[in-house]
Amino acid sequence: MAQRGRNKFMTPKSTGLIITSLIDFFSIVVIYLMKSYSSEGSILTNSENLTLPNSYSTKHPSEIHVQIAATTDMILVDNVPVVPTTDAQRLTGDDIPQLIKALKTKYAQEKEQMKLGSANSEESGTATIQIDKNVAFDVLYKIMNSCAGAQYSKMNFAVMERET
Amino acid sequence: MGLFERKSLVDDAGGDIDLKPFINFLIVIIPVLMLSSEFAKVSVLNLQLPVDMGSTTAQAQQNRPIVDQNKLQLTMLITDSVVTIGAKNGLLPPLYYKEFHQYVSAADRRVRTTIAYDPHSPGKTAMNPKTGKPFKISERQDIFLYVTDENAKIQNCLYTRDGFMIADEDGKPVTAVKVGDVVYEVTNPRKQITIQNPEIYRLSPLSAYDEMKNRLMKIKERFSDATDADDITIAAENSVAYDKIVQLMDIARIAEFPNISIAKLRG
Repeated sequence: MAQRGRNKFMTPKSTGLIITSLIDFFSIVVIYLMKSYSSEGSILTNSENLTLPNSYSTKHPSEIHVQIAATTDMILVDNVPVVPTTDAQRLTGDDIPQLIKALKTKYAQEKEQMKLGSANSEESGTATIQIDKNVAFDVLYKIMNSCAGAQYSKMNFAVMERET
Repeated sequence: MGLFERKSLVDDAGGDIDLKPFINFLIVIIPVLMLSSEFAKVSVLNLQLPVDMGSTTAQAQQNRPIVDQNKLQLTMLITDSVVTIGAKNGLLPPLYYKEFHQYVSAADRRVRTTIAYDPHSPGKTAMNPKTGKPFKISERQDIFLYVTDENAKIQNCLYTRDGFMIADEDGKPVTAVKVGDVVYEVTNPRKQITIQNPEIYRLSPLSAYDEMKNRLMKIKERFSDATDADDITIAAENSVAYDKIVQLMDIARIAEFPNISIAKLRG
């Protein structure tokens, strides 16, 4: 009875959208997104079947010249398959001839572009290397040697930043 | 007239703030932030080949560096069962380790198993308890290296809640503490702790990475006047997984050896 009586006097004219909770939710989403905001954006993209190792490094890549990726089954230069990883592992030498060839072509291209921009063409290149964390050390060593053989003496190894 | 006046009065008193523009703003800013946010952060470890020694192996072998008396020539060595530190005058006692692999199911991240890995019979694979199928190699999340003694018994050490190893004054791992003990947390710089509540430290298997970090920090302290006090070489066997190399590179960086080189151990 009492309920009915109250209803009679307090019937709202129209029920508006309850906006407070919506704004609460939006605010939380905005704060969360701002936390993971990066002004630089990511210039490194990693392929599907490549798990990068975790590291405490917080240095972000500034520029990318040539990208070498080594998954458990293929070594790629700028997303072009070069040599299967197992073949690279079987090689007895310290480097991978196919990789050196691919990198030298890349270096020549880059040099050509740099000349057009009248930059110092004698500088050695920087290679960004993404290696799957399950790849053996042998492959890493051969890739590094191949890079050195093709004038890429600076190397950046891509890693996943550890959450702290 | 009177009616209008009363109505406007009521509106002023009970009127809410107009939230429409704010919501419009939020709806715009959320997609903008979503586009420019990074969920998995990729960073880089930077490595540079020494220029004065030539950039290829053949060149490097011809132009061997002049032996400097004040050089430390620090090297971290890792094989499938031992990790240790070497310098110009010899090697530190080796740290034997046992390897454990943690697998996390790609389909359900709550499904995880840790198995012991034996480098002499690597055929054994972990089984996914949910599907009954073996885990894929890409589902291997972490490789743990636990220090063992000569009889392959795993050594323990106390860890803080944040996962830092506890060492005593000489840098030896601590296995038991009582109230009032003074110990050191192996972080850089080393943090001194006076134990107040021994309960909050837990005994866990001693990670070889933590012990290496501990040793490297001691070396850094003692030989900071060496001409190559920032340099370290990581030497590994062919079969060592890349993940372990990166972990060692991380340790070297934490212990302030930023110039890292890579070498190969010949079998």
